[in-house]
Amino acid sequence: MENIPESSSKGTKRRREENSDVGNTSSLEDDLTFTDTLVALRIMRAQFPHIQKGSVEPFMLKSQLYSSVKDRTQVDRELESLRRDKVLRLFKLNTGQDDHAVMFLDDYLNQIDRVVKRMEGKKVEECEVFGWLKTHVLDSKLETGIEHQELCSLLSLGGKVKDSHISLLINAGVLTRQLIDPNMYWFAIPNIGSLLKGLVQGRKEIISLLSRRRYKEMMLASLEKKRLRMSPFDVRFHLRDLIGSGHLRTDQTPTGLIIRVPKD
Amino acid sequence: MHTHVWKQIRDREAGKVHTNHFANRIKSNRISQLQLSNHKDIVSPHKGAVNSLQIDSTEGRYLLSAASDASVAVYDVQRPSASESAAAFSKHKCLFVVDKQHQQAHKYAVSTAIWYPIDTGLFVTGSYDHHINVWDTNTTQVVVNFKMPGKVYRTAMSNLSTSHMLIAAGTEDVQVRLCDIGSGAFAHTLSGHRDGVMTVEWSNSSEWILVTGGCDGAIRFWDIRRAGCFQVLDQSRTQFGRRPPILKRSMIPKDSSTKLSGTQKKHANGSGSRQLSIGRVPSKGPTKQRLHPGMLSTQDRATAHYGAVTGLKATEEGMYLLSAGSDSRLRLWDVQSGCDTLVNFETVRLQINKPLQLATTQDSTLVFVPCMRAVKAFDMWSGKTYTILRGHYECVNSCWFNEQDQELYTGGNDRQILVWSPARSIADEMGEGPTEDQDNWSS
Repeated sequence: MENIPESSSKGTKRRREENSDVGNTSSLEDDLTFTDTLVALRIMRAQFPHIQKGSVEPFMLKSQLYSSVKDRTQVDRELESLRRDKVLRLFKLNTGQDDHAVMFLDDYLNQIDRVVKRMEGKKVEECEVFGWLKTHVLDSKLETGIEHQELCSLLSLGGKVKDSHISLLINAGVLTRQLIDPNMYWFAIPNIGSLLKGLVQGRKEIISLLSRRRYKEMMLASLEKKRLRMSPFDVRFHLRDLIGSGHLRTDQTPTGLIIRVPKD
Repeated sequence: MHTHVWKQIRDREAGKVHTNHFANRIKSNRISQLQLSNHKDIVSPHKGAVNSLQIDSTEGRYLLSAASDASVAVYDVQRPSASESAAAFSKHKCLFVVDKQHQQAHKYAVSTAIWYPIDTGLFVTGSYDHHINVWDTNTTQVVVNFKMPGKVYRTAMSNLSTSHMLIAAGTEDVQVRLCDIGSGAFAHTLSGHRDGVMTVEWSNSSEWILVTGGCDGAIRFWDIRRAGCFQVLDQSRTQFGRRPPILKRSMIPKDSSTKLSGTQKKHANGSGSRQLSIGRVPSKGPTKQRLHPGMLSTQDRATAHYGAVTGLKATEEGMYLLSAGSDSRLRLWDVQSGCDTLVNFETVRLQINKPLQLATTQDSTLVFVPCMRAVKAFDMWSGKTYTILRGHYECVNSCWFNEQDQELYTGGNDRQILVWSPARSIADEMGEGPTEDQDNWSS
């Protein structure tokens, strides 16, 4: 009984000493919490699951940060200062009420480049709008949304802006219209539509997995070994997200961490 | 425990402890022990969900509650009803209840009931039947009646007002109306919201300032002597902590200066017309709507929450504002700078379709928030959950903190009004030893 946890922890400790960045094999139990938001972001970025089909740069969810760092106010404030220093960007997702994705700025720019490369087949002269976007808009507009007039005026610093440019941006997935307000756009991460669908389905799958059990709880160690059928992400990704948003609770027991569905 | 208190009293006598400190220490000690009251119970005659609670500000003695079955009731929270005065557990029945059998009662749910701030001779109720009634407490008759264009969500009267007797009403309609009790007519309307207004609160620092939260997610500050609102809270404007540091103020606004110029551009361009080539500088547009300078704020579409604003509470000193939204977030705003202080309260889910009533302690250290079935008390500045009060069987709609006795009253969809107070050990009250445990059936 005692050998198993000891050997796994010894194994991960040894591996961590050798290679600090490969977090894929370490148990969630060992690195559930971090001291600092930036450290948490970097480690979670390293642990981002490798997805073969779509090529997407790693992104993190804000709710994952809440479960990883103890003080939520500290997370909010550090995210805000990192955002102002242009280290990362926040995106509002449409998968839930307050879902936000956090992405490092370099990753985001790489993602845009990938999208542009794929669109190379179409009119080349229109693809210059992406360059304008990167130099003029992303640099000065750090919020999650932007108004139509402001977008046009910022883009026109690069060249003459036409309606077709804006439609190209929307088609590429870099901008999305806001449902409430026809004049406002959200900044978005291109090509993550299927991942977001997988995110929603994975959340549902884990919650139903736990709700079906008699006491609505499971040991973290056994939950981690499960493979999800409907989500490209691994269980650890979803667990951080669900614990951070309050849909699941962790409790410490003598045999390890246990995950429960809270009653209220 | 008792020797501790005697020592503190001695210190206060000797001047070692300041009187205020002494009182505050005892109060916060009592607040930290809040639990479902074991000596007080309020018997609620309501047959529908309890929507709003308020204790009068003059004596702190009478509790006014409004329910979804069109009933309004008043209770005395200091003296129990006569029949049960001997028991250790005091029951407080209602002094009177105005329900559907009354001729002038409301027809549908009463969503809000507030006392007239000067004395308890009048109270004001607002209901989903589009009416606001002002009642005389002693005769329980309606003295003034206002008809609104939509369901009334919230009404508020200013505690500080010395020159006006205006009732601010937030309804389904986009305009906030101010009703004057003295003349029986509408004073004026405040427009700027783009959807219904769910919450209205008067400021605690000025009798002319009104804060409203709408279903469009915006929180607007109005000075009722001027046209238009003078501040719209924007969740993207943030500051770290209680006050923005003086040096950083000049640095913050790369964002806010573009925002300011953005609003000016919006104004010059007008809202309706859209030119064909978008690259042109907006101020040269052909149609220039000339707006009153006070109405510039109607063009400001900043939102404070991603959904509707369901609850507002200003702190006692009027410097900070708490807002609850249907995006299940609770935000703390600095009123002076209009920025979000980025305190994260661990609210998981909040009720979305009804206005919520939040409560704060007088020294603004704790805030009580109804979160579905439980009431959570959060520490104001760190956002951590201080305690969770569980007792209601269904969603909680409103809470009110009685500062005099350090008691919390909560009302919910389960038609109950629960009292949460610091524990009082019954043995001390009765002067006897601990009561024996007697079972009737095992002799």
